[in-house]
Order: sequence, then C-alpha cells, then structure tokens
Amino acid sequence: MSDDTILVGAVAYDPKVVTIWEGIRAYFQDQGVRMDFALYSNYERQVESLLRGHIDIAWNTPLAHVLVQQRTSNQSLSLGMRDSDQDFRSKILVRRDAGIKSLSDLEGKTLAVGSRDSTQARILPLHFLRQESVDLDKVNLLAFDTDVGKHGDTGTSEIDVLSALHDGRAQAGAVGDLIWVLEQSAGRIDANVIEVLWTTPPFDHCMFDALPSLAAEKAERFKKALFAMDWNDPRHRHILELEGLKQWMPPREEGYETLRDALRQHGAAR
Amino acid sequence: MSSASVASIAVEGGDLSLGEGLLAIIRPALDLMEPGGVIAVLSCSRQTEEDLSTWCRIERHEFLGCEEISEGKFRHLIRRGSLSVPKGERETALNLPLRDGMLTAADVLAAVPMPERADPATGFAPRGARAEPGGPSFPYTLTERDTVAPPQIAELYDQAVGAQWDATRDIAWDKIRPLPAALETALGQMMTFLAENELSALYLPSKFISQIHPAYAEVAMFLATQLADEARHIDVFLKRARVKGGLGISSATSSRSLLSLLVLTDFTEAAFLLSVLGEGTFLDLLKFIERHAPDEPTFDLARRARADETRHVHFGLAHVRHALAHDDSLYSRLESSVRRRAATLHNVGGVPSAIQDALTILAARGSDPPSVRRGHESFRELLHTMHENRVKRLESAGFTREQAETLSRLHTPNFM
Repeated sequence: MSDDTILVGAVAYDPKVVTIWEGIRAYFQDQGVRMDFALYSNYERQVESLLRGHIDIAWNTPLAHVLVQQRTSNQSLSLGMRDSDQDFRSKILVRRDAGIKSLSDLEGKTLAVGSRDSTQARILPLHFLRQESVDLDKVNLLAFDTDVGKHGDTGTSEIDVLSALHDGRAQAGAVGDLIWVLEQSAGRIDANVIEVLWTTPPFDHCMFDALPSLAAEKAERFKKALFAMDWNDPRHRHILELEGLKQWMPPREEGYETLRDALRQHGAAR
Repeated sequence: MSSASVASIAVEGGDLSLGEGLLAIIRPALDLMEPGGVIAVLSCSRQTEEDLSTWCRIERHEFLGCEEISEGKFRHLIRRGSLSVPKGERETALNLPLRDGMLTAADVLAAVPMPERADPATGFAPRGARAEPGGPSFPYTLTERDTVAPPQIAELYDQAVGAQWDATRDIAWDKIRPLPAALETALGQMMTFLAENELSALYLPSKFISQIHPAYAEVAMFLATQLADEARHIDVFLKRARVKGGLGISSATSSRSLLSLLVLTDFTEAAFLLSVLGEGTFLDLLKFIERHAPDEPTFDLARRARADETRHVHFGLAHVRHALAHDDSLYSRLESSVRRRAATLHNVGGVPSAIQDALTILAARGSDPPSVRRGHESFRELLHTMHENRVKRLESAGFTREQAETLSRLHTPNFM
C-alpha cells in the first residue's frame, strides 16, 4: 500500500464503529483522500500504537488525548474534535427523597459513579467534588466499572448510574450532561424521583491526535476532508448521526486543563 | 446575553424541566423561526438554564443566555441554528371545499397541486409536508408530473373509490342453475380466460407503484383501486366458473401474450399496452359476454367488471394523451413498443382456439349446428367491433387514423 494512505485508529466500543468508519473511509475516498482505519479493543493499546507509529492518527477520548500529550511532552498534534466534544459538563444528580441539599450532604450517602476510565462519569466529577471540598472518604462510592478500556464511550456505566438512582441503590450519581439531556428528552428520566444537585465546570471531550512526525501535507488533507462533512448532506448525515455530532470543529486545548490537573493529583482512577 | 437579540415569540414553560416535557413547547416554537430567529422561553424551573444550554449545544442552536425578569421567573433566549431546517413553505389552512358534506381527493389536489418535478430525497413525505434535509434518496424513477400524472387523476380516484363492489355479496349467486354441458364448459373456459388476463392486469401495474414519487400519490392510489378491481374480478370470474362447473384450460398463446406485457419496464408503455389496447379490447369482450350471458348473475358480473375496466381505460387514455402532449418522441416509442410486442408474438396465429370455441358456443347458447353457425357469426362480428373500437380509442389518444389502423391490427390476438 502506498504511503499517502492516512491510517486512523479508533476503538471498537460498539459494532456501529465499523459502520461509522466504513462510512468515513468511503466519504474520504469521495473527497480524493486515501484513508483507512484500524480498530482497537481499548484506548491503552491505541495510544501505544500511535506512539509506536503504527497508525497516523488516533481518535481519542479526553483521557487518551491527555495521555498522548504527556507521553510526547506536549509535542503531539491535535487535529479536530466534534461540536459535541466542547463544553461538556458532568451532573451530580440526587434522588429527591434523599434529603441532599448541598454537596456536603453527599457525605454519608451512596454516590453512583461510572467506569474508572470514564472522564465524565468518574474522573472529573470526583475531581471537581474534591475541589468543592467534599471529603470523598466519607462518601460511599457505588462504582460501575463496565467496559473498562473503552473510557466511558459505551455510556453503559452512565445508564447504570441512572438505574441505580431510579431504583434507590444510590442516593446520588454522576453522569455526563449529554446523557442527562438525551435521556430526559427521550422520556427515560422520572423527574419526580431525580433532580440535579450540581453541575461541574465545563471540559472538552474527544480529539484526533497525531505524532509531531505526521507529514504536514497528510494532516492538512485529513483536516480538509473532515471539516467538509455536512449535516444537511444525506451522504454524510448518517455517519455524523452515528458518531454523535453535527459539525467537526478545529481543536482547542484549554478544555483539557482540569483533566490534566486531576491526573497529576490523583492518577488515572480512584 | 446579547442586548441586540430580540425574541420574536415567547413561550411559557412554567416549572417544567426538560425531563418533564419542556421540549414539546420549545421545539414547535423554534420550528416557527427561520435560522437566526430568536425565541424566549419563560420558566421558573431551576434546572432549565443548564439543561437548555446543553440541549442547544447538542442541537446546534445558540443559547443566548438567561435573565431573571421577576422573582423566581426567568427568560431564556434561544437562537435557532441552521441545521435540520425543513425545506419548503409551511402549509396553512387550505379552506378545502365540502360538497354535500363530502371532501373529494380532486378538491384536495386542486388545493395542493402537484409539482412539475419531485425530489427523490423527500422520501415518503406527503406532498405539502416540509422535508428535513439529509434524508436518503429513494429509488423513484417516475419523478416528473407530465409523464406520470394526468390532470384528471384525482377525479378518477374518487370515482373508483365510490364504485367498489363485493364479489361475495353483490352477485345473486343463488340464481345460478345448471347449464347444458357444452354451455357450462364454454362458460368455464371464458371465466378461466378472463381470470388469467385479469391476473396479468393485477401484476403489471403493481410493478410501477413503488417507482412513482409520492408527490404524485394520487396516481399510486388510483392504481391501488385498479389492483383491488382486478382482485375482485379474478375472484368473481373464478367463482362463476366453479358454481356449477369448473375451470378450463390456459393456452400457451395467452401465456406468451401476457408475459410480453409483464416484462414491460416503462410506465407509459405499460399503460398504453395494458389499459388502452388490452383493457380497451376487454370492454368489447365483456359487452359480448353480457349480451350472451346464460343467466342474470353472469350478465351482472360482466356488467360490473366492464364498469370497472372502463375506468382503467379512461386512466390509460388520460395518461397517454397527457404524456403525448408533453413528449413528441412518445408516438414513435409507443408505436415501436406495439411492433416489438407483435414481433415476439408473430407466429401465435389467431385468437386462442379454446377461446374462439367458448365464445362461439356462448353466443350460440348451445352446440346444435344452426345455433353454432349464428354463434360463429357473432364471434366474427366481435373481432370486427374490437378492431373498430380500438381504432377509435387510439385516435382519441392522439394517433392518426392511419397509425390507429396499423396499431390496432398489430394488437395481440389474445385481446389483452
């Protein structure tokens, strides 16, 4: 295979990932850009492969993105993200009957959280709670460590958190605002039972990462094709819907600062 | 919040949260806006601001901010984004006319006319609905009004719906008595032939329904009545044969003729060969059966079937006439399709012999030689009448007398 093919890594967190990347590959070909993809079962392996130069670009979770930056001494290239990756927040939800009126009331209660590598349902909500002076040693954590390695992509652990709240196994829970709003608009949240106690500050989510050695011309071809996808074009719409975005956006770094802090202070998981 | 943002409309959200149905108030309000238009959402729910902001991020609307307008009462401003905006004008009250309390498809069509061309990406969106962009393209091939929809299509549909009848209850089956053996056999043969031909008239139009763009749905709806008619005819003809007798034979000639219809791929050619030429010829055949019917139920079912077939012929004529008026090349295309079909049937000879005999015996009302002589004479007259009437129909479709004569003679000896 000739060298000008751009090889992108992605994690197969769901069968639809094959559909998404077959679609993106076909779209890139239509744009005259040779692209192929390699699927990994977990982000740790994908990050290693990127660092070893097996793939040109990796479609990374925020945790994987920050790890790549650490491992490359901040020399890695950020190529693009989804509109839906910007200004993510996490929600601390509580049962209305739990008597939790402030963050300090969480002490002594059960807080359901997602997988240990989920940025939005575990790492950052706990980090922000510490910053708000909640003593997590006094909070009983009910952790749903499902799909570890997928960095929370499947959303399974967030759905588990919501079930635990609905059925009373937990009095409080942490989920991303995307799931919170989507589950509400799908009619799957009982507003008589669950309410929002607190919303975290914003942070950013997934990112296309590359090594600094990626040829500038390859990076440009990739970005040009990526940013030309159009929500109103039926040929692109299906892929964008599956991947959960309406528009690809240029990268920005400030949205990962709190995650870097959290990893520096507490490591990858509690 | 931008002070320049002035909301065009305000909606009252009360204390509803997103999880309690608030979006059912917000989304229809946003739908009234052009992209860039701003709505105000009045709310006294504490959660609303953050959830609305997240929802706007997901939907690519712009959340302009929130201000407290009085104690515990907030105003959120949302600017409509440019994605997922349906195309076309919003349909408003059409003031459809009622006639004696009835609402006809023809009046609806007059109020919501068919577009000249239709976009396959609007899928199954009914004409008049605004289609959200980004939907898949559908495999419609009939996307131009003048090749698919004659102007009187909705009237034909209204008539067809009003004229449906029931092969189980509407025929006086109890009035059928046993016939002399020769006549019973001839009748069974005729009914077999009619049912076989009606099967082809059921199958052929059904091939085209899924090719018709829903902007011209009245055509598909009319064809659906045509299919229901054919189903009923098949039912009633087979029942008539079986009340006291049984079915006759299916000839290879009929089979070859009907296959040459079934393989047609062009809607206008099919309407021409099936409805104008085939079903047109069947009008004379059914009239013949009425005239020589051995009993009242047989007369009645042939008469009813002929009334239905007359509508199909009207549709075929209207369709072909309208298409001819918009496409000069169509004359020669239709002519060559008749010639092509005739070429595939060139050695089939005359009317299938079993049908010749059945028609003769039917007209003779028996098999004694003097009656058979009369019956045979009637059969020969039928062929002549069929030709004369085909020529008239072809002329009415827009062909010259000379073209009509030629095409009529090339028509299949199988009648359909």
